[in-house]
Amino acid sequence: MIVRAVTGRARAAALAVSLVAIGAYTSTAGAFTVNITAANPRVIYLQVGVGSFNGIYNSGGTPANNPTVNVVSVTVPAAQVGSGTAQTMTTNSTASISYYDNYVFCSAPAQLYVGGFYRSTSNTGAASLRATSPANLVNTAGDRIPFTQISWTSSGNGDSGAQPFPAGTFAGGTQTIGTIARNQWAESCHTFRYANSGFVASGTYRGRVVYTLSTP
Amino acid sequence: MRASMTASLTLLLASMAAVLPAAAATYRVDDSATLPVESTALLRWRQAAPSRTRDDTLEGATAVAVRLNLAPWVEQTARLYLVLPAQGTAAVRVSWLTQGRLLPGEISPGERVLIYQGPIASPFLEETLTLRIEADGSRLPGTERLQFHFEIDTD
Repeated sequence: MIVRAVTGRARAAALAVSLVAIGAYTSTAGAFTVNITAANPRVIYLQVGVGSFNGIYNSGGTPANNPTVNVVSVTVPAAQVGSGTAQTMTTNSTASISYYDNYVFCSAPAQLYVGGFYRSTSNTGAASLRATSPANLVNTAGDRIPFTQISWTSSGNGDSGAQPFPAGTFAGGTQTIGTIARNQWAESCHTFRYANSGFVASGTYRGRVVYTLSTP
Repeated sequence: MRASMTASLTLLLASMAAVLPAAAATYRVDDSATLPVESTALLRWRQAAPSRTRDDTLEGATAVAVRLNLAPWVEQTARLYLVLPAQGTAAVRVSWLTQGRLLPGEISPGERVLIYQGPIASPFLEETLTLRIEADGSRLPGTERLQFHFEIDTD
């Protein structure tokens, strides 16, 4: 309730008049309330290798599901097996552009795109990206190669600072790959290599790594 | 003595009335019949993913069926205002469209915006406001209440 009036002695009189008027109507004066709340307070998107986005985000694009599981592989020449000379791996990924801005960020198939974003209305910390790898890659005969033989470097076209998902080596278990701060997009390109430090039987050794992005 | 003082007071009020504008004042309007169409407006991220410009805006829309009791001011010229007192923690911006009886506009907490100016012709004014609400998504952890009311300035 606000009373405005003119100055000086006249103000007192105007006040008196206004108070009479207000007294007659304030008993019924109300206010209306509009409640607002976030429909989707937390949103995450994770892409490892090939992913899908309906458009580009800065043009109104939205994330989409993509069930593709990409393969990172290397064929070690017989003469090189166990030599200790690291063997650069390659991928079957075709994901070079970033859905962040359609920029050619990775060099597929040599590199594997790892990226995503985390949206939240609550300041409760960053989202965490973890990778779970088995202890070993295994061939059909049951021979094994420790997953710790596989490591990666991290970069991105045009990037000069630290990578959000930096270089590392698989642990043969669950490990943290990096974090995504609230309301940020993070991405890196990983180039894998096989350490080739052990003499192993011939065959195709397989193992699957599962990446998981978790919100606080 | 008593008769003398009464006479003086009467005289004073009479002289004041002569110099006053016609009770220029602000009143809160009875809007108790005004109702939002939805109990809660759901806001969605304007950009699905975070951007380099850090656009963390949540946005949504809802409607409000406005019914104002203007009976006390019929046949007066007045200005109607929508008021959103300072409140809450999130930065909020509300814009609205109307069906033509009131003016469209936009408002933030702590502001008072003109929505009508002219003669009050009837005791009740009905209008539908279509609200478009924007809020800072980095500061809206839960439900927030925006409490509006209407005020009228008379000449």
